Amino acid sequence: MKLSNLLAPLVYTPYKLSLRVLLSLSLVTLLTVTSLAQVNGLHAQTPEPPEGSYSESQAQGIDRMIMCPVCPAETIDQAQVEISFQMRAVVREMLADGKERDEILDFFVERYGKDILAAPPKTGANLVAWLAPVVGFGAGLVAVFLIIRSMSRQRPALLSAQPVQDAGLIPYLQLVDRHLDLTRGGTSNQPSYSVESRGTGVPEQTEGKSEKEDKG
Amino acid sequence: MADLGAISLWIALALAAYSTVGSVAGKLRLSPALVESAQSAMYAAGLALMVATLSLVVSFISRDFEIAYVAAHSDLAMANKFTWVAFYAGNEGSLLYIATILSIMSAVAVWRAPEKFKDALPYTTAILMLTLTFFVAVMAVMANPFDKLPFVPLDGDGINPLLTHFGMFFHPPALMAGLIGITVPFAFAIGSLLAGKIGDEWVDAGRVWGMVSWVLLAGGLLLGSWWAYTILGWGGFWFWDPVENAAFMPWLGITAFIHSIMVQKRRGMFRMWNIVLINVAFGLALYGMFMNRGGSVPSVHSFGASQLGWIFLLFLAVGVIVPFAIFIWRYPLLKSAQNLDSMLSREAAFLVNNMLLLAIAFVTLWGTVYPLLSRLTNDEEITVARPFYDQVNGPLMLGLVFLMGVGPLIPWRKAGMASLRKSLLPPVVGGLLTVGILAALGLHKDYALIAFGLATFVTTGILMEWFRGTRSRHRNSGENYAAAFFRLIAANRPRYGGYIVHLSVVMVTLGIVGTSFFGVQKDVVLSIGESTTINDYELVYLGTVEVQKSNRTEFTSTVQVFRDGELLDTLRTKRAFYPSFNMAATAAAIRSTPVEDLYVVPSENLPDGSVGFRVLVNPLIWWMWVAGPVMVLGTVIALWPQKIRAPAPARPPRRFVPGPRPSAA
Repeated sequence: MKLSNLLAPLVYTPYKLSLRVLLSLSLVTLLTVTSLAQVNGLHAQTPEPPEGSYSESQAQGIDRMIMCPVCPAETIDQAQVEISFQMRAVVREMLADGKERDEILDFFVERYGKDILAAPPKTGANLVAWLAPVVGFGAGLVAVFLIIRSMSRQRPALLSAQPVQDAGLIPYLQLVDRHLDLTRGGTSNQPSYSVESRGTGVPEQTEGKSEKEDKG
Repeated sequence: MADLGAISLWIALALAAYSTVGSVAGKLRLSPALVESAQSAMYAAGLALMVATLSLVVSFISRDFEIAYVAAHSDLAMANKFTWVAFYAGNEGSLLYIATILSIMSAVAVWRAPEKFKDALPYTTAILMLTLTFFVAVMAVMANPFDKLPFVPLDGDGINPLLTHFGMFFHPPALMAGLIGITVPFAFAIGSLLAGKIGDEWVDAGRVWGMVSWVLLAGGLLLGSWWAYTILGWGGFWFWDPVENAAFMPWLGITAFIHSIMVQKRRGMFRMWNIVLINVAFGLALYGMFMNRGGSVPSVHSFGASQLGWIFLLFLAVGVIVPFAIFIWRYPLLKSAQNLDSMLSREAAFLVNNMLLLAIAFVTLWGTVYPLLSRLTNDEEITVARPFYDQVNGPLMLGLVFLMGVGPLIPWRKAGMASLRKSLLPPVVGGLLTVGILAALGLHKDYALIAFGLATFVTTGILMEWFRGTRSRHRNSGENYAAAFFRLIAANRPRYGGYIVHLSVVMVTLGIVGTSFFGVQKDVVLSIGESTTINDYELVYLGTVEVQKSNRTEFTSTVQVFRDGELLDTLRTKRAFYPSFNMAATAAAIRSTPVEDLYVVPSENLPDGSVGFRVLVNPLIWWMWVAGPVMVLGTVIALWPQKIRAPAPARPPRRFVPGPRPSAA
């Protein structure tokens, strides 16, 4: 855990210990994920193919761009029908002849029309298909930004200490706040409590519960 | 039985219609008696539908082939357990299932509705029953499951072999229940609007029923993916086809809703937004049902194919336009109780989360609609399929995973920079280290690197929250760590249940990234004794056994798996040919480990005894299937009621507002 030692001074001293544990936790997660991914990562490194040949994954990449002409909504990579077997073979033949991906796709477009491609080409009018999501997303971001700004610019809500109804809960609530403060490190939210008299003096239940949750 | 079922349907229709009209009339004319009788009619409609359901089940078990639906979806050879599946194998039965589920959910929702909502309840009942009336009417008139044939056939057509899979016992019913379930939170929202309620009374019911639909949809989608993975025989689990998308979009909508509703529950904000979201989710759910019922051809062209399609389209239009009109009418009522304090707050994070989810839904809808647009405007036939969605939705989903890590760590209201740095430091360090280490190990796919980094980021954040909470309990109450951990979860179930669900989403992410970026696939034809290699596995094909069954020919092929010369496993793949359907069903043999799946599926049996196999290595996909139960567990924890139920408060629930700090302590 050398790293945690290195990083510990960066943060508030009283939290050194907790930070160390936290960092080791993050390390554990990380090691699990990396070790899992590593095994596969090493597999994934395929050597550069020699001149004039092609890799199977390259061919599959092309398969996945071509729809099967007789089975709706399936690519030739997925479809289990004769024509898709043949089309896959054509893709591989053309690759072996040294054809590029685009040439092969064009070949199929010429024969079957543009809708043989699994996604519209990023040219001409079909650029709209690709740009609309980007524009929509941008507009959404701007809208959210404006909404947040307008909502936060309004007159700030009145800050007032609302009374707690059950006097017996006060020490408990203070304890909770202290813990939260300890663990969260926030120093700004120090609530104070007062008791609201309700005449009967019988405390009403459960209000404290929901308030405790509210702090989460 | 057929007559009993048909009569029950008509009775249910009458009761549901009466309940709709009675609720509204009773409410408007201030007649509690009428409202009450309308409510009883709702329960009775549920009973009538259960009788109808039962009649259809009995007809299936007794193989009453006089009923057209039974003859079309079962035969004498079918095992009785498949009655469950045959029940919803066609439009008629699915509609009956949907109507029955809606009536049960309505009854439970109205029965359990909070006291404070009572005022608006008649409207909610009316909306639920109006929807039910629609489904039952469509069924009774256009797709009656109890229609009789003019003669009694000796045997039925049999069940579609693709449906005789374990996943099919749960995937369609879960999805259908999830889709129709969105009606319930929707009815609460609109009911509250119609009654002119200020805003927050419907929130609890909306949240609970929203989550019920959410988990049904999520589970249904995962089970569907699993079914596709094990039986469709191409090695993948999701390919963005229109019907999948139709179920995916409402899930996105309801996901946005159950997050955003938390803000209203806790802070009294986003009142308008939540109404908009539930309307959107409901609209998408109707669209999903329309896509499913419109016909079996998985494309938009199919809506002319079945008359049902148009009726559903009409209902979809009404179901979207009318609620928005009501929303605009009641708009002035929906003012937030609080203001947003800062861009750096959980509220703001939720808004961005909503925006991303809706963006994904928009892209998905856009991809479905674009081919139509292109044909109309450009007169050009265009396909929009998987490569489009992968490229456009992929980055958006990563953004969502990122927010999933940030959101729970940002406090409500306003985040202080210092506390934010402290809570985000370990996850960020974890994420960056993951990226660094993986890159150093030679993994150079940027996308995958980012995804793995984000996965660690989210997981670290969640573990950190758990650790901090547990330690705090341990220190302050002396509970041991295990007890402290469980009590921590029990004390704030919505929150910690939510974290468990988030973990399951991380697991799904691992599965998707693993297979999309590191999957290896190979098609080979092997004759007996031949072998092939994939990654470090060596596969030897030993032979095929052919067995004639009453309705199919089964080919079972045996493949031995070696690694480093050592026998790892013996796999048996199945391929069954059903002559009556002229259709082959495959079952992949999968050697599954948390690291990777070795997946072997036969694609064709050649006359000379050799077999065409597709072999895949799918890394990390195991995590995706394990995520399902984890997701359900998390949701159940989040939904589990706290022991002490608050009595209905006379005033709106108080907020915990920090007061001025005591000057002297």
